[in-house]
Amino acid sequence: MTSPLLSIRDLRTWFYTESGVARAVDGVSFDVGAGETVGIVGESGCGKSVTALSILRLIQPPGRIEPGSRIEFEGKNLVTLPDAEMRRIRGNRISMIFQEPMSALNPVFTVGDQVAEVARIHAGLSRKKAWDRAVETLALTGIPAPEERAKQYPHQLSGGMRQRVLIAMALIMKPALVIADEPTTALDVTIQAQILDLLVHLQKEFGTSILMITHDLGVIAETTSRVIVMYAGEIVEEASATELFAHPHHPYTEGLMHSMPHIGHDQERLNVIPGTVPAPTNWPHGCRFRERCPYSWDLPEREHPPLYDVGTGHVSRCHLAREPERRNHPHEPLVVLEGVSAA
Amino acid sequence: MSGPTLDSVVTRPTRPRETPLGIAVRSIMRKRSSRVAVVVLGVIVLLGALAPFIAPYDPAAQPDIVALKDLPPSLAHPFGTDPYSRDVLSRVLYGARLSLTIGILATIVSLTLGVAYGAIAGYLGGLVDAAMMRVLDAFLSIPRLLLLLGVLVAWPHLSIGALVLFLGLTGWFALSRIVRGQVLALKHAEFVTAAQALGASRRRILARHLLPNLVSPIAVAATIGVAHVIVLEAGLSYIGIGVPQPLASWGNIIQDGADQVAQLWWLSLFPGLFMVLTVMMLNILGEALRDVYERRS
Repeated sequence: MTSPLLSIRDLRTWFYTESGVARAVDGVSFDVGAGETVGIVGESGCGKSVTALSILRLIQPPGRIEPGSRIEFEGKNLVTLPDAEMRRIRGNRISMIFQEPMSALNPVFTVGDQVAEVARIHAGLSRKKAWDRAVETLALTGIPAPEERAKQYPHQLSGGMRQRVLIAMALIMKPALVIADEPTTALDVTIQAQILDLLVHLQKEFGTSILMITHDLGVIAETTSRVIVMYAGEIVEEASATELFAHPHHPYTEGLMHSMPHIGHDQERLNVIPGTVPAPTNWPHGCRFRERCPYSWDLPEREHPPLYDVGTGHVSRCHLAREPERRNHPHEPLVVLEGVSAA
Repeated sequence: MSGPTLDSVVTRPTRPRETPLGIAVRSIMRKRSSRVAVVVLGVIVLLGALAPFIAPYDPAAQPDIVALKDLPPSLAHPFGTDPYSRDVLSRVLYGARLSLTIGILATIVSLTLGVAYGAIAGYLGGLVDAAMMRVLDAFLSIPRLLLLLGVLVAWPHLSIGALVLFLGLTGWFALSRIVRGQVLALKHAEFVTAAQALGASRRRILARHLLPNLVSPIAVAATIGVAHVIVLEAGLSYIGIGVPQPLASWGNIIQDGADQVAQLWWLSLFPGLFMVLTVMMLNILGEALRDVYERRS
């Protein structure tokens, strides 16, 4: 396999807060190949957005990317790149689509201006040429009457339209990688589907890689080929989308899938994963999911699980990989295993 | 190429373009009080601008210091004459020109300083911000009039240019507070992060994304700032340390009749009227602008 477009190794993004060091992203490694769509899924506070912002190096103090972290992109380590070079990458080679289409647009400029600005920054186009290119790109995103729309202000557009504008801003330079941070969360369900279709379509058209960040497994199922599940600042499972949905391994992934409502299932209440993500200043020792896990036994309490290989291209950070039969006995009394020393 | 079908998209009918400026102008013109303010200010500005063409006399000429002095209003001199036999109408018109010019220029100086200082403090934040704000506190703790009096007493014969400069230099503190607060609030807005994510530099973000969002509070501060400077300049001229004779400003016309206000009432009434009207209208306009921007945000 040729070297991937984006290769992240041991990314640690920590925030030095008054209540301690919040290890929001704590040793994350993954690749995104050219033209590939990779999903990152997880609850709020699991580190997925911080991972996204780290790639673009948009982490604000008191947060910082710890030394030793590597983000290789097109042969450069983004972590140590000078600011000026980093700016040439943002919006040009890697761009980002934000969650809130209202607040991500500047209220005092026309949307055409804002799309054109990206081309003016990176391609050095004249005002006129950048405007024409902006209108073309807006047309690509399916905005009807783009010449007219381009002259309007964000508040004159609907949420779906605004999200298309953001997509146009992200794609005008035909970047190699687009990071989409919850691109459909703020939209109506019907518009959500249209926007996802649009992203998939544009991705095929431009050959762009997409890193799709979401808490919505439905979005993952619809768009991505490979899925990374994050929990408590770490990757807990990674597999192809089909494999993950067919054979989820990590109890957290299982929990996420169970908590999706299903049509046809007679359910009075939604299933939930009990508890909440622990505080990032104080991750539990050993397995970080231990306290919420239905299968926990005393091994995970002592030993931080590595990513176990549990199938082709399928890894899981769960000790169940060693003793799969325990899955049949949720909440069995704790047993001390022989031959395992406390880590 | 075949994109997603266009008709699948929910659209609203296209409305005519609405620029922020257009919205502001329209909502100001909708209110009667601010409409009156705009018209009255327009007339005063026009009178000042056209003073050389419409003033009946040379404002500094003293045609007959014995026979033509202290004349009450008449057809020949609608606003009367002063103790030096100068025509008060001509002086009031030229005074409008000078007082407004001083007001506007001094305000430009203080806007520039206030916006720059506040924006830098707010955008950089942290220690820089803290230090800059403490310096500002020190300035704010000294009353503006006292600061000006000190300066003008120390250097008595200042040129008009220097007067403008000092009026401007002492007028930016409050505005920089406002700007700093707004920048502080806006710099974490998602559109700022978005602009950063698309490769905009810090300077570009400040100039292109943050400052344009501050146009309304700055416009309010500017309008009210001009009114302030006009009153200050009149006050300084009145006590004889502002605009030097024989130049006419509203303040020093009043000063010319100050020792006999009861007899030479026309010397304080007419320039006073112009000044009060100007300041009042500027304040009404400033309030109207504030309404517009508070309604929007």
